[in-house]
Amino acid sequence: MFSFIVRRILWTIPVILIVSSITFLLMHSVPGSPFTRERALPPAIQKNLEAKYHLNDPLWKQYIDYMYGFVRLDFGPSIAYRSRTVNDILAQQWPVTATLGGVAFLFAVCIGIPLGVLSAVKQNTLIDNGSMVAAMLGVSIPAIALGPFLIWIFALKLKWFPVATWGSPAHVVLPALTLSTAYLSRFARITRASMLQVVREEYILAARAKGLREIVVNLRHAFRNALIPVTTIAGPAFADIVTGSLVVEQIFAIPGIGKYYVQSIGNRDYPVIMATTLLFALIIVVMNLLVDISYAMLDPRIRYS
Amino acid sequence: MAFRTGKTGSDNETGKALRSRSLTRDAMRRLMKNRGAVAGGIILLLLIFAAVFANFVAPYSSTEGDILNNYAAPTADHPFGCDFMGRDVLSRLIYGARISLAAGFVGAITAFVIGVTFGLVSGFFGGKTDNFMMRIVDIMYGFPTLLLIILLMVFFKSSFSVSGVAGGGLRGALSDLDRSMGGMFFIFLGIGLTSWLGMARLVRGMTLSVRNTEYVESARAIGTSRIRILFRHILPNVLGPAIVAQALQIPGFIQYEAFLSFIGLGVNPPTPSWGMMLSQGYLAMRSHFHLVLWPAVAISITLFAFNFLGDGVRDAFDPRQTR
Repeated sequence: MFSFIVRRILWTIPVILIVSSITFLLMHSVPGSPFTRERALPPAIQKNLEAKYHLNDPLWKQYIDYMYGFVRLDFGPSIAYRSRTVNDILAQQWPVTATLGGVAFLFAVCIGIPLGVLSAVKQNTLIDNGSMVAAMLGVSIPAIALGPFLIWIFALKLKWFPVATWGSPAHVVLPALTLSTAYLSRFARITRASMLQVVREEYILAARAKGLREIVVNLRHAFRNALIPVTTIAGPAFADIVTGSLVVEQIFAIPGIGKYYVQSIGNRDYPVIMATTLLFALIIVVMNLLVDISYAMLDPRIRYS
Repeated sequence: MAFRTGKTGSDNETGKALRSRSLTRDAMRRLMKNRGAVAGGIILLLLIFAAVFANFVAPYSSTEGDILNNYAAPTADHPFGCDFMGRDVLSRLIYGARISLAAGFVGAITAFVIGVTFGLVSGFFGGKTDNFMMRIVDIMYGFPTLLLIILLMVFFKSSFSVSGVAGGGLRGALSDLDRSMGGMFFIFLGIGLTSWLGMARLVRGMTLSVRNTEYVESARAIGTSRIRILFRHILPNVLGPAIVAQALQIPGFIQYEAFLSFIGLGVNPPTPSWGMMLSQGYLAMRSHFHLVLWPAVAISITLFAFNFLGDGVRDAFDPRQTR
């Protein structure tokens, strides 16, 4: 088990290295420079600026410099925002994205899983059918359609929540709801399917035969085992939600990392693009790692292959 | 015959052979019983019809508007109103179905071709090749897809359209192609290049298991060439489940296109895409909510139909699963 985990952790190093190389190459092959303006800068100034940010070095040298900085967790200065370093920007934007993603993930887990259990317990009743159609709707409405809709109802008509931007806890609700709906629905559907599968196992029959109350059978015996597939999708779902906040940040004008990423691509702000991609890649890799480890813990056959 | 009892036996004796039910027919029967899936299928057929015959179905042009009608509220002439340029929203929605469905289907096919080829080669050659190719897939899985597709779109859009003006070589040809398709070509490419990983893993796994079956072994024993084994014996057995798996991805691809067009990296205006209509309507939402409402409804219904049908198909072909 230990060597399995060590091997998996070491494997993340080439993944991060290659993801960063591809991003680096792709980014630098996009035409235009950070200093492209409508009115061209005088060549001398352009030269000096490029020298300042080492953009006139050969590409391989820029890459090595960059990776050396990355190892020291120093992402260098932002090009578009002259006085700020990328580390400053990340320190400011990341908490916003993390809060949004975290709240959305909590919504998904705390509403989705109980909904799934309820549907399974009341299988083929009105509650079950109703919540499963709702879950299907939830999976089907994309954030770019749901977001404006929620804003219109809850911000413009009912005035319960602010329309957009960021600041108070009330600002979090609508974007988090927009972000979590698809995953909430997915959690509900998977929990329900998994519960229904587990309920047919013999140990559930045994528990019933012992004369346990229905609620004890459902919660202590069925639910706990039904959670296994749910926990294994929770990791990737978390990574997806955090990445997906990019979409929601666009809609709600939230100053998070995702909004910055799209801007930075437009600005050719290379250091910010790199740092953001690496940060997201790291989250994905760590989540995949956690999933693999949890699989290995749940199923000993995987450990040795 | 003494041991034969029951209905089957007597049926055979009277000469009425039981009609055999193939797996597909059985699955179709189950699918037809699933009301949600049937409804989804009907909606999709209507959508496909509207998309294909948009020229005849749509009452107005999708790109030319009457500027005097800008932001017109829904009336009898324009049941869904007009947008900021006075273009009929209903007509744009109908033409927009083309874009969404094309992104879903062609995106799926692009990713399918890449994924199936990759998985097939990896599984068939095995050994070091397989190991190497699967490590590539593992690494690509570390990529934040959404970020990658945005970067790719910027890369395509700016590096190809700039040189396209000069009109030279492959770059120029690709960018001309993209422009003639209203910006769709690079969307297909972007989706295809980022969404083939799951398919590659699936196909590789199935190829490995088919490769070790007895009929492949006997084919090899009588001296069938490797290419022939690959195309005659392995590919047909892998294709069915792969197609079903890929069909389930279509809603995701439709969402990619809508999102890319929403942030301005998708289709080129004035091509009517639901995502672009959403972003344009969003700007005027306070006073003209219908500009957001209808594209939102259109894309949601489409995805809803795809998901219901997809669920039904999956359940029908896999009866063990409890839904």
